[in-house]
Amino acid sequence: MRNTFVDAYPDQARFIRRVFATSFTAFAVGAFFGLIQALHRTDILRVVESPTYYTVLTGHGVFLVLSFTIFFLVGVYQWAVTDSLERRPVDMRFTWGWYGLMVLGTLLAAFAILAGFVESIDVSANTLFTFYAPLQGHPIFYVGLVLFVVGTWLAGADWFRSWLAWKGEHPGERIPLPTFMVLTTMIMWYISSIGVAVAILAFILPWSLGIVDSINPTLTRTLFWYFGHPVVYFWLLPAYLLWYILLPKLSGGRLFSDPLARVVFILFILLSTPVGIHHQYLDPGIAEGFKFIVMTNTMFLLLPSFLTAFTVVASMEHGARQRGGTGYVGWLRALPWREPAFTGMALAGLVFAFGGFTGIVNAGMNINYLVHNSLWVPGHIHTQVGTASALTFMAGSYWLVPQLTGNRLVGRSIGLVQVLLWFIGIVFMTNSMYRGGLVGIPRRTAEPQYEGFQYEVAAGSVGELNAQLAIGGILLFISAMLFLALMLLTLFNRDSEPVDNRTIPAPLSGPEDSPAVLDNLKLWAAIAAVLVLLAYTIPLASIVTRGGLFGPDIGPFPVTIEGSGSIELVRMGLEFALETVSR
Amino acid sequence: MRIHTYEKLWLVAALVLIVGFIATITYGSVGLGISMIDDSEETLSPDEINDDERFGEPRVEQVGENEYEAYVVAQTFIFQPDPIEVPANSRVTFYVTSRDVIHGFAVVGTNTNTMVIPGEVSTLTVEFDEPDEYGIVCNEYCGDFHHTMEGQLTVVPEAEFDMTELEAEADDEVELGDETTVTATVENGALNDLETTATFEIGDQTVEEDVTVAGQDTEELAFTVDSTELGEGDHDWTVTVDDHEESGTLTVVEDLEGEDETGADTDGANGTDEDAEAGDTDA
Repeated sequence: MRNTFVDAYPDQARFIRRVFATSFTAFAVGAFFGLIQALHRTDILRVVESPTYYTVLTGHGVFLVLSFTIFFLVGVYQWAVTDSLERRPVDMRFTWGWYGLMVLGTLLAAFAILAGFVESIDVSANTLFTFYAPLQGHPIFYVGLVLFVVGTWLAGADWFRSWLAWKGEHPGERIPLPTFMVLTTMIMWYISSIGVAVAILAFILPWSLGIVDSINPTLTRTLFWYFGHPVVYFWLLPAYLLWYILLPKLSGGRLFSDPLARVVFILFILLSTPVGIHHQYLDPGIAEGFKFIVMTNTMFLLLPSFLTAFTVVASMEHGARQRGGTGYVGWLRALPWREPAFTGMALAGLVFAFGGFTGIVNAGMNINYLVHNSLWVPGHIHTQVGTASALTFMAGSYWLVPQLTGNRLVGRSIGLVQVLLWFIGIVFMTNSMYRGGLVGIPRRTAEPQYEGFQYEVAAGSVGELNAQLAIGGILLFISAMLFLALMLLTLFNRDSEPVDNRTIPAPLSGPEDSPAVLDNLKLWAAIAAVLVLLAYTIPLASIVTRGGLFGPDIGPFPVTIEGSGSIELVRMGLEFALETVSR
Repeated sequence: MRIHTYEKLWLVAALVLIVGFIATITYGSVGLGISMIDDSEETLSPDEINDDERFGEPRVEQVGENEYEAYVVAQTFIFQPDPIEVPANSRVTFYVTSRDVIHGFAVVGTNTNTMVIPGEVSTLTVEFDEPDEYGIVCNEYCGDFHHTMEGQLTVVPEAEFDMTELEAEADDEVELGDETTVTATVENGALNDLETTATFEIGDQTVEEDVTVAGQDTEELAFTVDSTELGEGDHDWTVTVDDHEESGTLTVVEDLEGEDETGADTDGANGTDEDAEAGDTDA
């Protein structure tokens, strides 16, 4: 008998389908913007004016690294919690509620960004997704971001609630691994997203509404990066979850070690946040000592990824040997390379390993001078979130979406072409970006062609680098569209056989091999909080002492249109809401 | 906890690698002296830039033998000064601040790179061995025309580098028979004394004068011109000091009724003059 997720939990499957649809819509828009950028930067085709490029770039960032990734995360986590606890949420209305809030937040932020294309609407937010003050976007942009983040907080609360309910029914049992991963990710997220919440609610939003006049740019920037590095793990951990939970099964075996998987996620709770200042190595106003401390923390953050590399490869090898593979490397041939779900994840892992080493370069505080804010950095981002996460999500969808719909995947071999295209596209594009960064081509610019100088490319030429970037961008866009087409066709596929079984085989070394203290989430959260206080109290105090809470008289620099009536409107609306609440 | 032997080995190897990375970076910082941009400078509000001793007039200044300081202001969408000129075989400390938003200051193709944050001053010290030309770009998005924000850094051969500045002032008109003075101001930005010759030329006349300007000081030179010798008409003049040249034109007229001189006497006279001049122009 067929045993898919949708058969067991039809209402949950419907919910997750909706969440994935939202995620993939954001992906479609973000991918299209990416294509525009790849062609614009390289001066191959410029369909927008260069100032409008920054509207496109803001959308590319927000829609892909916030909407696409985080909606996919909540979908996968909803699946993981439901499937591993074998229970529905305590109150499904609450579940729909947080999803609604995330959608509302996304729509508001998207409106503020996209209105930048329309001159007759006096709203825009060309701040890029990092919104460094004193660049100022429309308040609706910030309100949208806050609602979105609050939505994710409630999602976490929902999963904790499910777990507590489960715990009542299963006293003394170990937390099932997928749920453990979800809960630890959310603890990391709660600790880290406080930073961006404070930056927006206490400083940037009041300032964009004209309630306060000035801002301390170093303070808001530091609070952003307090959140900005852990957020990359928020993109990455759902991919880790799929590598640990799904990839061993797809390989034909089982997870190598449950205890080490738990250790890895705990390390992420502890180390993800007290490292954010490594994005500010070149910031004035922050002492060298603090930068040194985060450098060492960052290096230790390599450990969970090294452990993951071992466990994932060991699990794959185990699977391959179950399938009849032999020899030192010969077992590789026994893996199911024809399955896009497997091949996509394996390629994503490979790219992630390479990207990890480029990350070590970024983290080396003195080498950072060479690559900081150069095209090298988006090269790194696109190998990590743009492939390790995104390609894993797409590959995972080839297995998950049939589970959520009960429909057989349409076009398995096209799926294989799709993941290969993504891999080839990313190799071309990031090769160009890494090399371009090393010769000094800057990131985040519409026209990296300057009048006063030429780049000195040691091997190859700028033309060749541009060609690679554009070819890569085009291949990635084609791949993204293929993926979306296959998803759409699968959704409407009437053919329901054969679909894989939903069960995940138990690990070789189960939770009984690890001490119960690993499941003491309060303990790890407390240690993480102490580490954050140690890493951030003195730097933040020093930044506030230097520049004041609201800065040394630094006025706004709106990248939205001046004298905007709509800002007044938002301000009145908020004041009204606050009054209503305070009554 | 049960951990597989291979996994233990892998764990140890990973830790060794991590500690190795930290050690090499520490060596790079302490041993090689690649220090980080830090909080050593006082804060500086963008409002105070114009009145600031260093940034009020963005420039390069000599502070020691082969040691220079460059005070750079970044603002949408330019760098000041532009170009930045420094000599080869020198050690230059850049002080960079922003007048408005967050910018970047990166010398293309090198590791001279810093964030520029309003309210803060970034400092970085760079050694320039060879003459060369570099581009400077803002590498942090700073608004609509971010992509146009660039500057130039020129490292000139030591012998060609000079920090001398020349200004000259003179009357435009002089009455036939009167004397007038052309004043030249020679500023020596370098630390060492400047010994040179100033040359003044007008009409067929050439006056040369030796001048010594003390380090980081200025000297004024006055060249007296006798209009009788020149005769009526326009006379071009130039003042030359080393590679610097200033020039102008002196007009010798028969009867000077300039506004400045007569206008100060009586209002009535001034009014008459203006009327007369207006009448002349019309005619």
